[in-house]
Amino acid sequence: MEINVLFFGVLAEVTKTNFRHYNNVRSFGDLRLRIEDEFPEIVHYNYLISVNNEIINDEPTIKAGDEVALMPPFEGG
Amino acid sequence: MSDNILINGPVSREIILEFLESSGRDTDTGGHSVFLGRVRADIVNGKRVKAIEYSAYESMVRVEADKIKLLILAEFNDVKTVEILHSTGVVNAGEASLFVLVSAGHRQQANEACSMTVELIKEKLPVWKKEIFEDNTSEWRQNDIH
Repeated sequence: MEINVLFFGVLAEVTKTNFRHYNNVRSFGDLRLRIEDEFPEIVHYNYLISVNNEIINDEPTIKAGDEVALMPPFEGG
Repeated sequence: MSDNILINGPVSREIILEFLESSGRDTDTGGHSVFLGRVRADIVNGKRVKAIEYSAYESMVRVEADKIKLLILAEFNDVKTVEILHSTGVVNAGEASLFVLVSAGHRQQANEACSMTVELIKEKLPVWKKEIFEDNTSEWRQNDIH
């Protein structure tokens, strides 16, 4: 399946991108490994993950077209 | 409820006045509580902050801001409206980056709901800030765990 991944805050800076499109994703775990493989530096950062604007804690089931975002801790205000 | 949570650049005097004036149109609300957040010229490792550059996950900000407003309206039965404006992009020290206006029948719930709204914004809105210093170097806030 095809999945879009967004990077925010410091993660957009260290990955030098704010968007990545991944093809043939088998599962969320597969997606995560591919992201960490492509951008190994992100393991040094603390971040939350959302799927379609909902923060997830466990490994979710994802479907084609889902929007996954990697977000550093929020710093609004 | 206003759908426009994010605005590019500082929350200007004109925008603030517009919201304050429009809060008078509902003559059932007697208590209006405002929170204004401004960028501080903090000293970080000997360097003074001259501005903050905000970035946000826009679609999720809309979702989370709606949740915050609904939660406040459910929690405080005297509260009629909750308005939230947050900056994206560059905001200079001294300029406003967050505006919250809660209108209620009476002052007590207006004040309490405004305070809770600000806390929820800090906790729930996907917004990030990069401090820009007077020497034009910059640094993300509190993200690196090493």
